[in-house]
Amino acid sequence: MIALVRGELAKLLATRLPVATLLTALGCGLGFTALLALAGPGNSTPPLPGIETPEGVSLVVGMGGLLLFVPALIGTIAVTGEYRHRSIGTTFLTVPRRGRALVAKLVVFGGLGFAYGAVAAVGTAVALVGSAALRGVALGVPAGALVAMLAQLALAAAVYAVLGVAIGALARQQLVAVGIVLGYFYFLEHVLLLIPGVNVIHPFLPGGATAALTDFTFLSDAIGAQLPISMPVAISPIGGALVLLGYAAIAAVVAVAVPLRRDVR
Amino acid sequence: MNSHAIEVTGLSKRFGEVEAVRAASFRAEPGRVTGFLGPNGAGKSTTLAMVLGLSRPDAGTARIGGAAYRDLDDPTGTVGAVLDSTGAHPSMTGRGHLRAYAELGGHARRRVDDVALTTGITEYLDRRIRGYSTGMRRRLALATALLGEPSVLVLDEPSNGLDPAGIVWLREFLRAFAGRGGTVLLSSHVLTELQHSIDDLVLIDRGRVAWSGPLDEFTGAASSLESAFLAHTMEVHP
Repeated sequence: MIALVRGELAKLLATRLPVATLLTALGCGLGFTALLALAGPGNSTPPLPGIETPEGVSLVVGMGGLLLFVPALIGTIAVTGEYRHRSIGTTFLTVPRRGRALVAKLVVFGGLGFAYGAVAAVGTAVALVGSAALRGVALGVPAGALVAMLAQLALAAAVYAVLGVAIGALARQQLVAVGIVLGYFYFLEHVLLLIPGVNVIHPFLPGGATAALTDFTFLSDAIGAQLPISMPVAISPIGGALVLLGYAAIAAVVAVAVPLRRDVR
Repeated sequence: MNSHAIEVTGLSKRFGEVEAVRAASFRAEPGRVTGFLGPNGAGKSTTLAMVLGLSRPDAGTARIGGAAYRDLDDPTGTVGAVLDSTGAHPSMTGRGHLRAYAELGGHARRRVDDVALTTGITEYLDRRIRGYSTGMRRRLALATALLGEPSVLVLDEPSNGLDPAGIVWLREFLRAFAGRGGTVLLSSHVLTELQHSIDDLVLIDRGRVAWSGPLDEFTGAASSLESAFLAHTMEVHP
């Protein structure tokens, strides 16, 4: 099994994906956060809490959570790329017990997702601390709490990468899979939040669980303030973590089990 | 080289209404090059995919040295295969690709340079596969198949995309491989291509094995391989 993980890692490292991933992470973490924090959330309409308040920090970090579709997309692109470039045959010939090949893939891409999350987290931290210093304010949360929040986000990135691998393994067609990832995380999940009655399931969807992880209630609060619909009650951060891990487990089982019997042509 | 026979027994596969392979049975023996000949759509690729465990048969078995491909202890160390589905990621270099699959198959890293030398791609090794010609990609696929020093080769239309020099090179390589005791099963839809490179012939037409045996027995009765081929494919489906 270790040899298989090393093999999948060698495959990943032979492409440009890891470098692209980490640069994206840095861009998302550092760039996006700096933009948000420096622009001054207080200047927006309606005004948002600034980073000198706990709510403001949670808001900025939670916004980073909205970019978690990126590791999902990376996992999806990597798996469907194997089908698109027809290297999946080479892989399954080398490891005919396909389940083992897919477990190795999940380990490697879970790791890449975590690396994305870690780089994005460090970037976010640097941007937050730097912006606070530039604006001459103290951050709204103690360092320990910020680190914990960001570590959770990094783990969530690993979970999203695993979800992406599973979606890719199921759909196989790259465009279809990418469409599913973007359509779901960018559109469908937010639409579900808007439907009264149906939105009670939102906290138990990946995006809702991630929001719970960072106590990020900005979206639902904003919608709740604007529209006469009741917003679902967010679950606790630990609940959110458990929900996310549950999704990762289901995704892993799907990603390993589905391609087992399928013909490669 | 201590090699294994490929034994296909009653292999069948159906895609919806189409019976792609119908109770196909044949053998490919060590020390011989076996040609798997048939017109386009005869079921060659489907059969080879089932031999290699990439596709599940509806009935029948395919064994290599007595075991199904997926049950081999060292699959890529036993069988090397080049199929349509054995592609490579275009953004990798040839070296990156070969290293990754050597690692995945548990083969020594020095094999990368060995197989590149054998297949004549050494000078292209550090270029991205995106820029490879079709012939170069075929050679890279063959190099990948050779990483584990297999004693059995299964090749689907291996000369597609090769230039005439490449075709001669491949023929000599396969002859030498079988000469050392290896088993070679290669498919083709081009009659003349097989004429000088194979010992045994398996003729497949519309999913059925129409004829199998030594090549000289096949051509013996007819004036040429072509007329024998036509006679046999007509016989099955008048």
